[in-house]
Amino acid sequence: MMQATRRARRQPAWPMLASEFGDSTLHEQGSGEFDPLFVITKLGAKVNRLLVAGLLERIEPRETSNGSTLWQGQLRDPSGLHYFSVGDYASESMKELIVQLSARAEQGETIMLIMVAKGRYFQSDEGSIYTSLRPEEAAEISRGSYREWLVEACGGMLERMDAHSKSQPLDSTEESYLSGGIPKHLCNGLLLANAHYGEIDIESYRLNILQALDIAEDRAVSSVPVAPKAVKTLDVEAEAEVQTSDDAPDLKETILGLIDRLDKGEGVDFNNILSNATARGIDRDAAEGALDELSDEGSVHEPRFGWFKRTV
Amino acid sequence: MTSDYETYVQQVLAEVPGADSAKVTDAFVRYEKDFLIPPADALRSVLRRFQGEHGIVETKSKSTGGSSQRSAPPVKKVEKLSELSADDKNVEIEVEIATHNPRTTMVRGEEKVVPYGLLEDQPRSTSGNRTRWEYKDWGNSPNLAPGAIVRIEGASVNEYQGRMSLNINQSTRVVILEKGTRTVFTPGEPTDINLIKNDGQITVVGRLLASRNDVINRRDGSGTIDVVRGRIADDTGAIGFLSWEPFEHEVGSLIKIENAQVRTFRDTPEINIGSSTRVEIFHDTNFASSDELSAQAVSKIEDLRDGSRDVDIIVEVQKMIKRTFKGSEGEEKHVWSGDVADPTGRCRCSIWSEPPFDLDSLPIVIRLSSVRVRAWQGIPDITIDGEEQIEILAAAPWGEDIDLVDNTVEVSLPDLVGGPSRVGISTTGTVVSVREDCGIITRCSECRRVLRDGECATHGAQDGESDVRMRLVLDDSGATISLIINKEGVLSLLGKDQKQIQNMIRDDGQMVFVQGLREQFLGRKMNASGRTIVDDQGAMLLCDEAEVIEVDAGLIATELRTLWGVA
Repeated sequence: MMQATRRARRQPAWPMLASEFGDSTLHEQGSGEFDPLFVITKLGAKVNRLLVAGLLERIEPRETSNGSTLWQGQLRDPSGLHYFSVGDYASESMKELIVQLSARAEQGETIMLIMVAKGRYFQSDEGSIYTSLRPEEAAEISRGSYREWLVEACGGMLERMDAHSKSQPLDSTEESYLSGGIPKHLCNGLLLANAHYGEIDIESYRLNILQALDIAEDRAVSSVPVAPKAVKTLDVEAEAEVQTSDDAPDLKETILGLIDRLDKGEGVDFNNILSNATARGIDRDAAEGALDELSDEGSVHEPRFGWFKRTV
Repeated sequence: MTSDYETYVQQVLAEVPGADSAKVTDAFVRYEKDFLIPPADALRSVLRRFQGEHGIVETKSKSTGGSSQRSAPPVKKVEKLSELSADDKNVEIEVEIATHNPRTTMVRGEEKVVPYGLLEDQPRSTSGNRTRWEYKDWGNSPNLAPGAIVRIEGASVNEYQGRMSLNINQSTRVVILEKGTRTVFTPGEPTDINLIKNDGQITVVGRLLASRNDVINRRDGSGTIDVVRGRIADDTGAIGFLSWEPFEHEVGSLIKIENAQVRTFRDTPEINIGSSTRVEIFHDTNFASSDELSAQAVSKIEDLRDGSRDVDIIVEVQKMIKRTFKGSEGEEKHVWSGDVADPTGRCRCSIWSEPPFDLDSLPIVIRLSSVRVRAWQGIPDITIDGEEQIEILAAAPWGEDIDLVDNTVEVSLPDLVGGPSRVGISTTGTVVSVREDCGIITRCSECRRVLRDGECATHGAQDGESDVRMRLVLDDSGATISLIINKEGVLSLLGKDQKQIQNMIRDDGQMVFVQGLREQFLGRKMNASGRTIVDDQGAMLLCDEAEVIEVDAGLIATELRTLWGVA
């Protein structure tokens, strides 16, 4: 009886990579007006609130039918994109921050954000399911803090992947999960997830984690671009250094070829180019350098930040 | 015996002058003996019977003829329990079932399951202003289960000693609006004692550690009830019990208590032995002995909860002062109160008689037996009523190595949130919120509450005193705690003095200041120490020292690879 009163307690924020949240198609909401909404991921996280981080990729205002402004944006982490929106309902400080960020993003600045957000769930008339985020608080963070967040998110995801595979042979009851070594805070969500999603392929999650851990270990610079060209620096020496690798015309050709092949009309994203280059045995840093040079000499341009297109 | 019924018999005779007083007395005796209905409650039935026999029609009844068929009173449909009065019948209301305890009782010589429990009105509202009543379900409806939201049609209100409750009758309709989860009720299957947390019906097997007679004074002053209190233990833990029935087992016996009720006194669950409980000697040669159990039943400060009784514990008294106050009769009274600690934490302690040690020779280690625990603002306060409960120990059982003076115990956040309020702890979590009201606040100079628009709710408008604090939220593994850092903690965390913080807020504004804190702390790991208050609204950590933990992400990433075997 101690906890029988249903006073709304604060829901925890789950550190989570974009792919896991974006793959979700299950939600749960009580019938009460203020009952929290939960999105249940394939790995059994039952989330109301998330702690996400990544590169601010796009932030645009949109006029809504009632005349107010809805800001829509994307946050990229090594596994994919989080979509978020900030509307009239957001706090003053959140709206203020978004206005500032959008101005800076327009200047081409690289902005790394951490965000505490509520998960949203939407099903279209055709039945497609979209998840998105409604940020409550956000802040620009350093690369170091981003790496901290990455290991935290990966740790949680690995724990859920482990619980998920442990749960497969078990009876679908909480008791059986608990005795099978599944942490209590995962049981309920995992039961719902297993009943809804059935068998899932977790191999792609494993790849996401590998990429994220690479960044955390500072091994690769992959999807968190160290702004290939955006930063207007006055440091002439540094710029000169980047431009020294003139001896690699083949490399540039290969990259151009890749862009030609991968471009479906809107350009090719940075990460895609680099991972395809690495797949061809090209050193990642070298590929990045070549891409830099291509943009500097004008062979490719960046219609949107992080997306490259061959100059016609 | 006759005299007990005299007043009631007189009442019946007044209404039915022709009745035979001996027969009326007999009727009351029969009601009380056979049906266990006291004369006050039986009065109406007896009256009706003799009125019937003497052809007197009940004046209130408008029904014509002798038909005993009463027409149902009109439906009274309400949203709130507070709209009901004691004589309402045929009530319709939507409620949430908070607890549901099936209990077997004898009704007219037959065994019948009559579940009882608590229900709450306004099940769809989250306002927190719900009212809670007890209910009895005479129809044992399969639709009632804990957590279920149901519409009850045709219940009646019952008032007993000023307490209102709802009778769900056999003819009452129970419509499920939202399903609950009925706890699986397995009679006879013993529960581990440390798993007893919530109210309900249980069976336990345990060894009797203590047992003493006690007397409970009825709240209305109508007399006393003899009870037996004690403690039983198994190898998972110990729990107090209260027997309303004669209980004569010897300390040390292994007993099985079947069909007992668990009730929570303050924050402490307790086994209630009543008339439907069966207590018998249990045989198990492998069961832990009294000595083993007593040794293990010594509590630690981390286990103490408001309302615990018969607690044995060893603590170090660190500080103690003698306080003098006036009793209710104006006489002078003394209490010795202070701080005590053990390796699991710190709490308060009050001694109501002269302590057998010198206040100047502190710290001192004492063993306390059969003490009570109260709590104030969530901090346990060990209450010692007499000096015979105190034994002075020459040395601490935890050894000399642990210096308790500044001892803070690191507790995981989920354990803190799921446990009792504690003092002298520290914990670690991820900062998931930096509240907008971080920074400079103004407090009431009298009650220290934060002023709203320059006004204190009790002490009115004033200038107040400015103070520094930060409000954050920490998360770890699904547990969440609200973290309030005091001035001392904030100044050292930010590496600034109050003046500097004041200037920052004055120059840049509150929003920029808070946004700066978010950039610094959001998503970071933080260790915070202080004391917690845990109640049904969640957990709060009042913190005087907090620091960001520098995480070596590269190292952790490598560890994760090894731990989970991802190359």
